[in-house]
Amino acid sequence: MRKALLHITLGLAALVTVVPLLYMVSLSLQTEAETLAADAVLVPDSPQWGNYAELFTRAPFGDFIVNSLVVAGVITLAHLVFDPLVGYVFAKFRFPLRNTLFVALLATLMVPFFVRMIPLYVLMANLGWLNTYQGLITPFLMDAFGIFLMRQFIQPIPDDLINAARIDGASELRIYRSVILPQTRPALAVLALFTFVFQWNEFLWPLVATTTPEMRTIPVGLTLFNQEYFTLWHLTAAGSVILFVPTAVLFVLTQRYFVRGIALTGLK
Amino acid sequence: MRPRTLQGRYARTAYLFLLPAILFFGAFFYLPIGNVVATSFRTGPQADRWTGLGNYAEALGDPAVRHSFLVTVAFAVLVVIGSIVLGLALAMALDQPLRGRVVFRVLLLVPYLTSVAIVGLLWRNILDPELGVLNRVLGALGLPEQQWLNTAPLLTIAGVTLWQSVGYTMVLFLAGLQGIPETYHEAARIDGADAWRRFWRITLPLLAPTTLFVSVMAVISGLQAFGQAYIITNGGPGDATDLSVFHIFNVAFRTRDFGYSSAQSVLLLVVIVAFTLVQLRAGRRGEVTY
Amino acid sequence: MSPTLSRRDLLRLAGAAATASAAVPVLTACAGAPPAPSAGGGEPGTFTVYWNAGHDYQAYRKVVAEFEQANKVKVNLQKYQWPDLRTRLLADFASGTVPDLVEEPGGWVQEFAISGNARSLQDFVDRDGEAMGFPADWQPVTVERNSYQGKVYGVQLHLTCNTLLYNKAMLREAGVEVPSTWEEFLAAARKLTKDGVYGVALNQDYTYLWPWMVQAGVTPYEPGSGAIMEPRAAAVEALQFQADLIHKHKVAPVPVSSTDYSGPQKLFSARRAAMILTGPWDLDPIRKTSPDLELGVAPPLKHRTRATQAAGVSMFVPAKAARPELSWDFIKRVTALEVEQAATKETGMLMPRKSWSDLPEVQSDPDIKVFADALPTAQDSSQQVRLTGQLGKWEEQLKVMYQQVLIQNQPAAEALDAFARSAEGYLK
Repeated sequence: MRKALLHITLGLAALVTVVPLLYMVSLSLQTEAETLAADAVLVPDSPQWGNYAELFTRAPFGDFIVNSLVVAGVITLAHLVFDPLVGYVFAKFRFPLRNTLFVALLATLMVPFFVRMIPLYVLMANLGWLNTYQGLITPFLMDAFGIFLMRQFIQPIPDDLINAARIDGASELRIYRSVILPQTRPALAVLALFTFVFQWNEFLWPLVATTTPEMRTIPVGLTLFNQEYFTLWHLTAAGSVILFVPTAVLFVLTQRYFVRGIALTGLK
Repeated sequence: MRPRTLQGRYARTAYLFLLPAILFFGAFFYLPIGNVVATSFRTGPQADRWTGLGNYAEALGDPAVRHSFLVTVAFAVLVVIGSIVLGLALAMALDQPLRGRVVFRVLLLVPYLTSVAIVGLLWRNILDPELGVLNRVLGALGLPEQQWLNTAPLLTIAGVTLWQSVGYTMVLFLAGLQGIPETYHEAARIDGADAWRRFWRITLPLLAPTTLFVSVMAVISGLQAFGQAYIITNGGPGDATDLSVFHIFNVAFRTRDFGYSSAQSVLLLVVIVAFTLVQLRAGRRGEVTY
Repeated sequence: MSPTLSRRDLLRLAGAAATASAAVPVLTACAGAPPAPSAGGGEPGTFTVYWNAGHDYQAYRKVVAEFEQANKVKVNLQKYQWPDLRTRLLADFASGTVPDLVEEPGGWVQEFAISGNARSLQDFVDRDGEAMGFPADWQPVTVERNSYQGKVYGVQLHLTCNTLLYNKAMLREAGVEVPSTWEEFLAAARKLTKDGVYGVALNQDYTYLWPWMVQAGVTPYEPGSGAIMEPRAAAVEALQFQADLIHKHKVAPVPVSSTDYSGPQKLFSARRAAMILTGPWDLDPIRKTSPDLELGVAPPLKHRTRATQAAGVSMFVPAKAARPELSWDFIKRVTALEVEQAATKETGMLMPRKSWSDLPEVQSDPDIKVFADALPTAQDSSQQVRLTGQLGKWEEQLKVMYQQVLIQNQPAAEALDAFARSAEGYLK
């Protein structure tokens, strides 16, 4: 009985989250006339799979996909290297200025990106890194969100584990790699997922830091399908569906780390 | 008590591990932020005329700035409370053995995986009072049609934000629930504690680090909401959804008053830091180690 | 392309960081910095143009190809939406790496002339003006809105204006003549409104206020006397007239605040609105979505005068552009009469040359002809405010005020007074 109620509630919630996105899929398969029609079309007359092909003929959409994958992928890997390490230091070490540095770190989250954007752009222009992968990637190699996340998840790991390893003579880097990291797999999965999703959808920086169409990422490239006074909805929606696929795949892959028990024992 | 030398060695290790982060945040955050602060003392379209605290004085007396700040706080309160309560409830539900829970997890997180811009465009389309799908569906069901974006604009964009972000808080809480050893629950169950008591006595205290993280991040991002106003409402109708960051963006990139917008950014930074310090202090009291 | 840093990169990073930190604030520092060797961050052989994503016409592609051939350069046509283009451009101005040519949505030329970011084109006009017909062959309003202190800073590319679009079948069925004055317009809208159909649909965007204001004889801002929105009674009448269409007579739906201008066009295409007031940009989507809709185009309405608002895009050259000679060559090519002709044929867009009005493509197309005939009555509504450098604030508050009246039904007199009082404070 309780289970059934739970199922119904979750089912309704899932319906609310998914139906609007199904509408986007529907839009991506409509003709231009259908997307502009007065009475919104829910199901297209005949699905226009050609919309997806049109993305690639109208713009270098293949380049957009490669650029997005490279940029978001490399940044996510960098976060997996740096964020847990710094998070570990803030969670388990005592050192002078620790709290001050931590608040200073968090403060970096509190300035909207566009406020820093112009100084950052000038810096990148001086380096000659505009329109390059390193220009798109380096400003995002780590962030306070990931570090804070990892700190919170590392904190509950018992200090005894660390001290025991130290007594065994393990080096600090080894303790981090073989004692701390294996304990944080659910958190690392979350970190990878959120970092990738965030960078994959990032708009403002790729907009200003690229100077040729071939270096654009998908979100920036999608703006090409807006006219001056109206949106080419069928193409924008098709691009959005493509934009959505890799993040969904990544989530399906990472979500198994959220199953209770697997993190610590590796068994279900 | 560890010996002094050992303490010193740990501190050295800590700073060694922190070195890349210090260089990185210095170059890509503190250097630009320093520029922002310096710009906030200047005025003119090139931000080249010294005005001292002029921008700050103007911002504090500007009714539009005050209005946008109040709008933002109202928006943040709605989104923060909504996403924490709903996200935790969904995480608890999906943390138990349940048929199809993987499917539910995926479906509930789906909106978060899409960009704010696309979500905004999509909902703008859906909510259109004359031509949108939602009123068409309501009409078909015999329900009265609604003008969501005119009668309750702030509530509506908060709802859209919640729609998108609830899966994200759910995932964080799910990950947090992994850190609570099953033995605690077993012990409590043997002691005869019911589900409600187990939630308040065990789950919630042990989830404190996650809750602190979620609420700090929710406040920070709630107070910095931007895309909803930028894409869906354009700050309107009138100034009903003129969120602070959207307002600051317009001062910078439409009005092109970089000095004034920098001063407002610095003020917003101060406010958010204050909120966060309060939360961290409260969180430190609530944290339990085991 | 490798994302890992080489040692040289690190040294450059340190160097750049040092310059950036010494140069506080960056914005001023860079105004004085030497121009970067390559414009727009591109290769030396690249000519960078910022263009609106909606204006990538075949006619212009042909110009680009010819330009590349003639000047032995590669054109990097960077297409953006207007807000994105502006964000991008302001970052460029700060860093000094600017494009060679920029298309702008109207109004930026004077703004950037004042701030010193746009280059005066007067030397080129003095040299080539007569041969290309500039300014003699351009509608006067388009020259004025692109000049500052007697010098030309930009050249108009498209010239558009608002007029009346109506559904012929609906008017016929309701037995309504095409309205010409405000009174006739209101009467027509009332007759045309019936179950599920609105007589008219109004736009949520404040710029659609101006045709009404100029028809009522209102001057937005008079720099000499400092008068704002005078005569005030006429301004109140124009604003209240629109609000009444929505809230009192209920012949128009309540608009929704948005960054999108296409609401009325969609209602019109869907046969849910019988009349809309708009520009030529809506013709194409209407024909595409409702090919069998009997579209009528009528002259702008008349109140005290028959007039409308001038709009449309221009081009300008950033002050730090490295090869202004080439930029000017591009401007000349893209504004040639044959190019205007081809673009009109392709898209129905309206053009700023006077001789364009006489083209057979214009004279033989009944819809375009109505627009073309209205162009000489088109006025620029924000120029005087623009020249004070306070346009940003003005537009921000105008947008809020317009929606408070049209959407939230505040009395027009009250809202206009508050707007004018505030404007008096910053327009000095």
